[in-house]
Amino acid sequence: MKAKLFKRVLAMTAATVLSVATLVGCGSASESASGEAASNVTATDGGTILWMSNLSSGAQYDAMVAYGTKLCEQMGYNLKIVYGDGFNDPDGNLTAVKNGMTSDVKGILVSQDGGIQAIMDEYPDIPVAAFNTDMNSVFSEDANIASNAAVKDYPNFLGTIADGHIDGADTAKQNFEFVKEQGYDKIGVVTFPGYAYPNLQVAADTMVSLCDEAGVEIVGGVVTLEFQPLDESYFQEAGRDDLDCIVALCAGTTFVYPTMVQAKADGLCSADTKLVTSGFDNDPSLIADIGEEGTIGYLTISPCENIGYGLTLLDKAIKGEMYDDFVCERIDSAEYVIDSKEDIDNVMSKSVLANNDYNDAQISYEDLQACASFADLQALFHSEQIMVDALK
Amino acid sequence: MEEKRKLDIKQFLQEHVNDIASYGGLLFCIIVFTIVPPIFGESIWSQAKLANIISNVIVTALLSVGAVFVYSLGNMDISIGAQIRVYAMLIVLLGNTTGSLLPGILISLVIAVVIAIVNGGAGQVLKVHPIIPSLVFMMILQGVSSIAYAKIGSRNITLRSVDFSAFKSTGLMVAVLIVETIVVSYLFYYTKYGKSARAIGANGVAAEQSGINLLKFKVISYVIMGVMVVVAAIFQMGYTGSASDSTGTGFEMNVMIALILGGMPLSGGMRSKVSCAVIGSFTYSILAVGLPLIGVPTNMTFLVKSVIFIVVVLFTCRKENGVLPR
Repeated sequence: MKAKLFKRVLAMTAATVLSVATLVGCGSASESASGEAASNVTATDGGTILWMSNLSSGAQYDAMVAYGTKLCEQMGYNLKIVYGDGFNDPDGNLTAVKNGMTSDVKGILVSQDGGIQAIMDEYPDIPVAAFNTDMNSVFSEDANIASNAAVKDYPNFLGTIADGHIDGADTAKQNFEFVKEQGYDKIGVVTFPGYAYPNLQVAADTMVSLCDEAGVEIVGGVVTLEFQPLDESYFQEAGRDDLDCIVALCAGTTFVYPTMVQAKADGLCSADTKLVTSGFDNDPSLIADIGEEGTIGYLTISPCENIGYGLTLLDKAIKGEMYDDFVCERIDSAEYVIDSKEDIDNVMSKSVLANNDYNDAQISYEDLQACASFADLQALFHSEQIMVDALK
Repeated sequence: MEEKRKLDIKQFLQEHVNDIASYGGLLFCIIVFTIVPPIFGESIWSQAKLANIISNVIVTALLSVGAVFVYSLGNMDISIGAQIRVYAMLIVLLGNTTGSLLPGILISLVIAVVIAIVNGGAGQVLKVHPIIPSLVFMMILQGVSSIAYAKIGSRNITLRSVDFSAFKSTGLMVAVLIVETIVVSYLFYYTKYGKSARAIGANGVAAEQSGINLLKFKVISYVIMGVMVVVAAIFQMGYTGSASDSTGTGFEMNVMIALILGGMPLSGGMRSKVSCAVIGSFTYSILAVGLPLIGVPTNMTFLVKSVIFIVVVLFTCRKENGVLPR
């Protein structure tokens, strides 16, 4: 009898927790302007923009929520966030959008391309823009990859701004430039599988041919990570204990850096080996290890202001004020290129990416409104205004 | 007289606590999501949201109804998700090659029956826990799909030459779910297959000594589920007309959650019911669709669902000092 009573009490306690948690969850929505929550913000009469995010936590996510929410407010919308499928599964993405759909949604912003055609078929009257994704399944010329190619011709599809370069060859060239400048001649290259990231396959192939031409040795060839962190045994392979650098085409701050640090501590990796990669993490020890003296010698980061590109196109489409010169296409993102202590210090002290403060934004609502044409908008995201030097 | 009536009510409540908790949970969700969303200017009864609930529920419900036989044995199959992934892939690949969905469906059925025979029989023949063979199949099928997608050079594939729009029809989804539920209910309640499965789940030794062929009825239970997995795979593929290397991820867990929410005893036996599958699937899906409508942020819905799950489990737990439904 006691046990039964205990269970009932537990159940009622759990139910109470449910009620409180729900209320707290709903209540916290009002905090999203500061980037701490993810839902409806203030009562704006323009409706809601539904963002299917590819992230659900982390410094970049927090900054994008803070900046995007504020920008939406100024445009007259609420920003509501749903989370795309962790594996970019078409069905999972469609379900995420359908579950989050409410009658006031006026535009959809997506950061994953899986199921984009199904999403647009489901909501043919709602404009869709993308950011933080290269939308390969729409724009690729390889029929095997372009499973959503039809979307390119949908009048409500507004294109995308990628996370970095849309062409993997450009990523490789950029990284190789740094390798060449530093005079490195013995490097490692790490990437993700080509079937998952076709652009990284292009980047890896280009890197190989550039290194071949320049006489730079890729020790042991290109290593493909199956979405697992680099194993420390990597450094036990012949010649990898004293590499000049590792070019991590994958998210190296997450998948390579921790292993490198451990390998250096274990004496398996030379203290001088540098990491050349992309991504952002505000872990103080990682931040302190960036720059001329640090492990991370060269880092590219997509600023969170990139979300403004998609939001602006959605705003124009919703209000029926689309640029006369608009064409549906994908473009490279704005990019911070960090190769010194000064650069990362500036990012950490002066960017919205690190501070989640809209007042630090390098592209404001007014800047976006000032773009008279689509060409102006694209130019803004490739201008010096959004480069790391502008933070000095 | 008054005292007798009170005792009757008390006895009824004790005997039907599972039903009350599961049906009550669904009823509670329906009431809450009928009353609250209009405050936010939304309605769960709109045509779009009803269609969304059905498309949310269909695959889990088809799988759960099919899994009733296996769960009534006191067993479970954790290869369901990987099976869905491979069947969806086969249907799309062969659909694009032949211009028809039929070859993919037929081959999937053959594979499903083979897997069911091994899953159902291995536990009995080799005297290993029945979850072991399904674990092996899960790994094999994951490996097969992983290699296949790497060969294809893409993480997802789309039907190009076959019209799959029929599988998006809410009417067809409802009709298939009703037909499957009726067929499984008939087999479960009115044939020796269902009665034997429940008897085995209640007490395998007693069932065997009563003359029930454990191997035969276990295999049949798994075959029934295998066929239903193929049916579910068709609708999973038809949802977007595509398949990916992550299709079906976590479906075995969804089935388990739906069955537990519906009041199914995990140890199987005579209290197993087909209705558990339907009730649990709808409760789970209504939560997924309804919570965003009342302003609950998406990242909170997992927490809310888990708390509701705990509440149902605690109400339906019948084992002294136990936690999981017996």
